Amino acid sequence: MKKRRLSILIFGVVLSCAAVQTQSHAQNVVVIVNSGVRATAASSDDIRGIFTGDKSSLGDGSPVTPVTLKGGPTHEAFLKTYVGKGDAAFRTGWRNLVFTGQGSMPKTFDSEAALVDYVAATPGAIGYVSKGTDVGRAKTLAVR
Amino acid sequence: MFRRVLILVSLCACAGPGLTQDLSTIQIHGFATQGFLYSSANNYLSANTSAGSFAWNDGAVSVSDTLSDKLRVGIQLHMYQLGDLGGANVQVDWATGDYKLNEQLGFRAGKFKIPIGLYNDSQDVDAVHLWALLPQSVYPTDNRSFTLSAMGGEFYGSEKLGQKAGTLIYRAYAGYRPLDRSGGYVKSLNLELEGLDASFGLPVTPITAAPTGNVFGGDLRWQTPWKGLLIGSSAFAEDAQGSAGAVAFRVVRNTVTQQYAQFERGRFFVAAEVRRMPASLFLTATTAGGLVVIPYPIDFRSWYAMTSYRVTEKLQVGTYYSHFVDAGGGEDTALISNYSRDWTVSARYDFNSYFYGKLEEHFIHGTDLGYYPDSNPNGEKPRSNVLAAKIGFSF
Repeated sequence: MKKRRLSILIFGVVLSCAAVQTQSHAQNVVVIVNSGVRATAASSDDIRGIFTGDKSSLGDGSPVTPVTLKGGPTHEAFLKTYVGKGDAAFRTGWRNLVFTGQGSMPKTFDSEAALVDYVAATPGAIGYVSKGTDVGRAKTLAVR
Repeated sequence: MFRRVLILVSLCACAGPGLTQDLSTIQIHGFATQGFLYSSANNYLSANTSAGSFAWNDGAVSVSDTLSDKLRVGIQLHMYQLGDLGGANVQVDWATGDYKLNEQLGFRAGKFKIPIGLYNDSQDVDAVHLWALLPQSVYPTDNRSFTLSAMGGEFYGSEKLGQKAGTLIYRAYAGYRPLDRSGGYVKSLNLELEGLDASFGLPVTPITAAPTGNVFGGDLRWQTPWKGLLIGSSAFAEDAQGSAGAVAFRVVRNTVTQQYAQFERGRFFVAAEVRRMPASLFLTATTAGGLVVIPYPIDFRSWYAMTSYRVTEKLQVGTYYSHFVDAGGGEDTALISNYSRDWTVSARYDFNSYFYGKLEEHFIHGTDLGYYPDSNPNGEKPRSNVLAAKIGFSF
């Protein structure tokens, strides 16, 4: 009986740690859009759909085009939190769309500053940066 | 027809001042692979695999342009070699103008990939799969042009079913399909015709023009509210006809149906599909004694189940079981020539974002898939193991 309780306790602690880790990933990344996009918030399902190529607009109908970082901790945290995939699986998904004629590969950037500049200057662009990054003329999108 | 598609795509790309051209939106992507096949018995997929064969490669280049947030055009050229199949002829894999009105409705016109099940439209894109060979019961590599693409149009879209009911994704299409003259279907037909010509004393005449036919169908998939679970169903109606000398052949309109499910969570993936293809092929020979009609009833029943695990970001491993029987015309499905079963174990390693390698072993029992009589003149053994290795590059 004691053993069973201990197992349940350990399982609970592991789950809590995973939840805290996911939350902390989410808190470290913010989603940004071009200031011309009407929406001020989006659901996490919308963000996942847009960054996997399943969707091309936010819930309110605003058309958006995703852009991504080439790699790094912010990119990995974003994928883990919002897309639920690692980088290799994420790129494979996009290759699938590109080579079957169903989508175009998202533009990628080496740095968050370059990504912010592009999003700020490009109508409909949507991307992500680490929390605390100066987003300039781009707009932060609340993700529910 | 290819010319018409190319002209359409070119016109879209050069469309007038309303669609000001911005070269930065043009994307060029491609992939190339080189494979190796070695079999313990029987020559597989028309290659000399019992001695080890490198006659297995393919490559593609795609060019696409986003002309507005709703309009995209593109083309992909593809070539492949697999034993006797394929060759130096470059084929248009797809070439479409794609107008997406909103999430619920989009249109594609031109040559488009046909959506059947999980992988029909990507079965010639090696870079996106763990497997060197997809389950051959449902996606026969030597015969893929039979369902791969069509010229015509399709509409597509998705509809969110409320907050907690997931999303429906749908596609429907109609078009015209020329079969690959250098593919496995035409090779098999040629071998049948050769025998028929000989038995009626007719001059042996191979097929010189690609058999053609009409296709229409659709795919409906449900992204369930349970994260990672997708289920769906496809229907594909087709017919085909052609001729070679004094023999004509015709596949009467039939419907291929396919049901599928996949579950993906983190590093873990599992999927299964079931396909049924009941069809009637008629060979009609004009002989000295009059018209002879030979029916070939077909009833292909196939399924597979697969699972994979991403061990690290670069290493993925998996296994599948693939099952095929031909029960056409009341055939005895226990005969080794009427079934094919394949246990496969596979691994893929991504060296970086561009280069990858695959290693795979197939344990095949039954001879109804992947073997050609002219590659195995002494008959086929019931069991054969096949080693498949591949390296690929994608950008």
